[in-house]
Amino acid sequence: MRTKLDACLDSVNQVLLGKEAQVRLALTCLLARGHLLIEDLPGMGKTTLSHALARVLGLSFQRIQFTSDLLPGDILGTSVFDKDSGQFVFHPGPIFAELVLADEINRATPKSQSALLEAMEEGQVTIEGATRPLPEPFFVIATQNPVSSGGTFALPESQLDRFLMRLSLGYPAQAAERALLLGDARRDLLPRMESILDHAELARLQAQVPKVRASDALIDYVLRLVEATRSQPQFAWGLSPRASLALLAAARAWALLAERDYVIPEDVQAVLPSVVGHRLRERADPTGHGGGSLVQWLLREVPAL
Amino acid sequence: MRAALKPLWRRWLARRIPPAASVRLNQRRIFILPSRVGAVFAVALLLMLLVGINYQNSLAYGLTFLLVSVFVVTILHTYRNLAGLVLKAGGGGAVFVGEQARFRVRLESPEREHQAVALGWPPSELVVRDVPRQGQTEVDLSQPAVRRGWLRPERLRVESRFPLGLLVAWSWVDLDQAVLVYPRPLEGELPLSAGLGEEEEEEGMRARGQGADDFQGLREYQPGDSKRRLDWKAYSRGQGLLVKDFAMLSGRDLWLDFDSLGGDSEMRLSLLCYWVLQFTERQQAFGLQLPGQVIAPDYGEGHRDVCLRALALFGARA
Amino acid sequence: MSSLPGIPRIALTWLLVAQVLVIVPHLVHLPLWMIALWLGAAGWRVQIFRMRARYPNGWAKGGLVLLVLAGILLSRGTLVGLDAASVLLIATFTLKLLEMRTRRDALVLIFLGFFCVVTAYLFEDGILAALYSLLPVTALLTALVGLQHSGFAERPWPPLRLAGGLVLQAIPLMLLLFVFFPRMGPLWSLPMPSDKGVTGLSDSMEPADIAELSRSSALAFRASFEGEVPARGQLYWRALTLERFDGRRWSQSSYADVPVAPQWSKAGESLDYSIIMQPSGKRWLYVLDVGEMAQDSGRMMNDFRWQRLRPVDRPLLYQVRSWPEAAREASAEPPGLRQALQLPEQGDPRSHAWAAELKAKYPQSDALVAAVLQHFNREPYVYTLRPQPLGRDSIDEFLFDTRRGFCAHYAGAMTFVLRAAGIPARVVAGYQGGELNPNGNYIQVRQFDAHAWVEYWQPGRGWRSIDPTFQVAPERIEQGLEEALSAEDGFLDDQPFSPLRYRELAWLNQLRMSWENLNYGWQRWVLGYQGEQQLKLLQNWFGSLDWQRLAIALVGTGALVIGLLALWLLKPWQQRPDPQRQAFRKFERLLARHDVRREAGEGARSFALRAARQLPEQAEQIETFARCFEQQRYAGGPASRDALRQALSDLRRALPWRLSR
Repeated sequence: MRTKLDACLDSVNQVLLGKEAQVRLALTCLLARGHLLIEDLPGMGKTTLSHALARVLGLSFQRIQFTSDLLPGDILGTSVFDKDSGQFVFHPGPIFAELVLADEINRATPKSQSALLEAMEEGQVTIEGATRPLPEPFFVIATQNPVSSGGTFALPESQLDRFLMRLSLGYPAQAAERALLLGDARRDLLPRMESILDHAELARLQAQVPKVRASDALIDYVLRLVEATRSQPQFAWGLSPRASLALLAAARAWALLAERDYVIPEDVQAVLPSVVGHRLRERADPTGHGGGSLVQWLLREVPAL
Repeated sequence: MRAALKPLWRRWLARRIPPAASVRLNQRRIFILPSRVGAVFAVALLLMLLVGINYQNSLAYGLTFLLVSVFVVTILHTYRNLAGLVLKAGGGGAVFVGEQARFRVRLESPEREHQAVALGWPPSELVVRDVPRQGQTEVDLSQPAVRRGWLRPERLRVESRFPLGLLVAWSWVDLDQAVLVYPRPLEGELPLSAGLGEEEEEEGMRARGQGADDFQGLREYQPGDSKRRLDWKAYSRGQGLLVKDFAMLSGRDLWLDFDSLGGDSEMRLSLLCYWVLQFTERQQAFGLQLPGQVIAPDYGEGHRDVCLRALALFGARA
Repeated sequence: MSSLPGIPRIALTWLLVAQVLVIVPHLVHLPLWMIALWLGAAGWRVQIFRMRARYPNGWAKGGLVLLVLAGILLSRGTLVGLDAASVLLIATFTLKLLEMRTRRDALVLIFLGFFCVVTAYLFEDGILAALYSLLPVTALLTALVGLQHSGFAERPWPPLRLAGGLVLQAIPLMLLLFVFFPRMGPLWSLPMPSDKGVTGLSDSMEPADIAELSRSSALAFRASFEGEVPARGQLYWRALTLERFDGRRWSQSSYADVPVAPQWSKAGESLDYSIIMQPSGKRWLYVLDVGEMAQDSGRMMNDFRWQRLRPVDRPLLYQVRSWPEAAREASAEPPGLRQALQLPEQGDPRSHAWAAELKAKYPQSDALVAAVLQHFNREPYVYTLRPQPLGRDSIDEFLFDTRRGFCAHYAGAMTFVLRAAGIPARVVAGYQGGELNPNGNYIQVRQFDAHAWVEYWQPGRGWRSIDPTFQVAPERIEQGLEEALSAEDGFLDDQPFSPLRYRELAWLNQLRMSWENLNYGWQRWVLGYQGEQQLKLLQNWFGSLDWQRLAIALVGTGALVIGLLALWLLKPWQQRPDPQRQAFRKFERLLARHDVRREAGEGARSFALRAARQLPEQAEQIETFARCFEQQRYAGGPASRDALRQALSDLRRALPWRLSR
């Protein structure tokens, strides 16, 4: 089973060169049933990553390009009057896919954003009074551009909290970029990818995540981390209990990917930047984003044992 | 004598209880002595012993010994009431000179209950709190902010006389807390400086800050925005609450310049502080020019904080 | 303290409770109006707390003080002395309630309360009183705890639990102090409680006095014998001799007060016993003839009685050795013998005549005495506690008319007759017999055991004791007063509830005996634990009495007790890091000597990896330890200290030896 996971990773890594860590984190996020926010410049392979993940995991894939005129109905779907039957027929929106790529989410209006985020949170959508369940599994990979240009709506803190992880892919290493330039066009490789896991296998893997052992000593470490954010003066605010749950879930999934049935502090540390980075803010810099230096501080100063 | 011993005492304390954001009280850090009430109690016990001796009364002896033993046992209880208590520094917001700087201290009990724990900076009154078993409580302590810059309080006294008040167990902890104190705002005339360099000249008119002059576009409603600027049409279209954003044509950037002011430096800083607050309130963009430091024009709360911080710490790092 | 003025509600509640508990044992001797005073003060204080009344102003306070002083003066007749002082103390304790505004005032009140408890001990020091006093002490401590509360606490029970715990935890140390703390004599003399209503023998005797005593079942003393307890009939406890007779009343002669021990010689077997005497308010001690005791317990007076310098006003323990067969003043005529022949100038002519008749008939004093005894035995004399009242010539009327009476009548009449016949004689007052407590092997002598008998002097043989009562009612001597009065129904008939009346009920009697036994132990080991008793006990324990050794024993045991208590209270083992953590610390220290130091945020595995890279030769051992640690700490493997220790020692062996860096 786990070798299949490794095969998944290898397969994605062949498409997305030199991003092993990010790919692993993305897969971790999906295993932990979390949604992923990718923050990066255009052209860094966000779409490729999402698409590749969908292929290897055998998930149906939909991409929604968020724009300022996107309406909630465009995401969720609308009821259209069908002349033949004389009834309103529901046309499901792109959100009814197993893996949804919400591209440039910060371009859309808050209303559209929250339509997506509510669906993410509840696993179902309510349109015109009728509640419709989203497919199972259901992942959202949202992307946003870090350079806020005119006409964007930054996600508020409360919405950021709904993403299990935030990643940024970054520029590829030189060797990887060379291989990129020399090889085939990446997107052409995608259709050739084969799905490695089926739905049942994925569900079984996901069910295994909560069973990964987290010992008392480890829970203590997580508590120490959370505690530090709540008591240290450089943090504008502390992590929420939801964040500590997220941290533990992600660490479990990471341990599972590392073929271990128990979590060690290193697992927590591996996922810490992507899980808590977007949830923290420096007190001295209340407008700025990202607790990059705070996360580094946590990794460095909070006793791991 | 006392004054001569103070630095020695401080150094000794600093070694014994080094400053840290989180301090757990243990036997190295807790001192314990009989309180004044305890001394009176001892005198009362002595009198009772005299009754026992003079009347050759075994029961009077017995009660005296019982109370002596209670006193001894109370040493353990008083110590126990502080031991294991964890003090943690909480954040405190910046204040202006003349205000009360608040320091938040969190008391946590990993194990047992701690009752009537008093903390503060003597000679001002101590704040008394109970800490529930495996729980926590927060205390806001205040100290007057007298000078701008970082305000680092003295060592904090934590004491407890529980359960009988006959003994006092105490500790001096340094939670490494600091609060930034901004200069006291001082109302006054402001000779505006006309900017930094020539390259700014050619841009000429710039739209910065929120004003009422020029329609810039729509932006998301934030609590506090004027209701009159709501875009009701957009709302009825289901686009959510949007606000029509107007920019103020500010002509040239406003520059607050330290050098253009008169008076001693503290007064100048106070004046600058006042105007930083004024401009922010008017949502006007401005820049700040201090000797050795230039903050580019901007507006908003973040910008204000950056400017105030620069004013508070002016000269401190030099 | 001064910064916390208000008195929390809990503290006030407990203070009021404590006051009631403190005052209750004093009620026996307090004037009744004190209750009203307390009720008034408590009510007022509660109203103040509820903001419905104000604190009394200066005038009101002054008036109250004057009122109380007047009350004490009226009910006690004086303002000095222990009784008045104790009333004054309680009154202060009560009135202070009205003045209690701050925590400091409450503290004063609590300390006063402790003094009131101590004062109560001076009036009543029984086992029940001592146990009871734990209640007010705990309540006062509870109030003290309540005062320390931050004001957030509202429930009344936690402070009580805490105070009770404090008392319980203090008890071992208290016992230690009680045993070892050196006792010393009184530093100065203090007034004693006077209204103890001590019943007992007095230094003069009219027959009615002893009849009065026989109605009291109060304890006089207890005696425990070292060997076999002698038969009842031999237990004549001498208290004093009465030599002077004024026609009605026998009293002590001044000559008996000469503190010169008379001449006597030991003979026969001796008896060793110790006596715990109840306070009598008198100076004499009780001994069997002829007693001998340590010099500091008392002195033998001219009439063989033992006397202390100061009255016995608290329970007293003393050791006696008696020589029942000793000859007393046999060799020479005692200097004060004339006193033993004194008779009133006139009165009782019939007795004088009878004495002359006897004298003529029996020139030998032995024979004369025997004849008198025989007379009591043969003639129809009746032993009763309810004799007819006697007129002017009381001896004549008793001997020849009424012939009804008890020990005092018989002893007085016989002494009269002997003296009239020219034989020196005197009345001895004391106690006879006593009840053997089989549980404790000691004898309890009560007031109703009071007795009077006769001793006469004979040249060459000295003083000899005889008991005319034995001739009339031998069962009084052999079995006790109850048997002697069985026909008369006069035994303790005005004490219907005295357990002594129900001695036939076996279980009740057993219960009573056990209770007496407990009291005896209390008297002997607690109340009597003073000077000599303590020395004796400590000598028993430690052989020689070396104060240095005692101090070491006290400090050592005290430290042990406190140490155990500290362990129990603080439970340091709960704070100790777990064995895995300890082992890992050792691992870190070991590697630190080789300059591999773990960062705070570094996990075990990454640290081990780094260490293995830096120390490639020991990589295997390092990784083994790290794996073992990880298995136990994170993977839920069985916690085994040995496995970690083993891995650690493997690593230590693999590493080149280095002290530290």
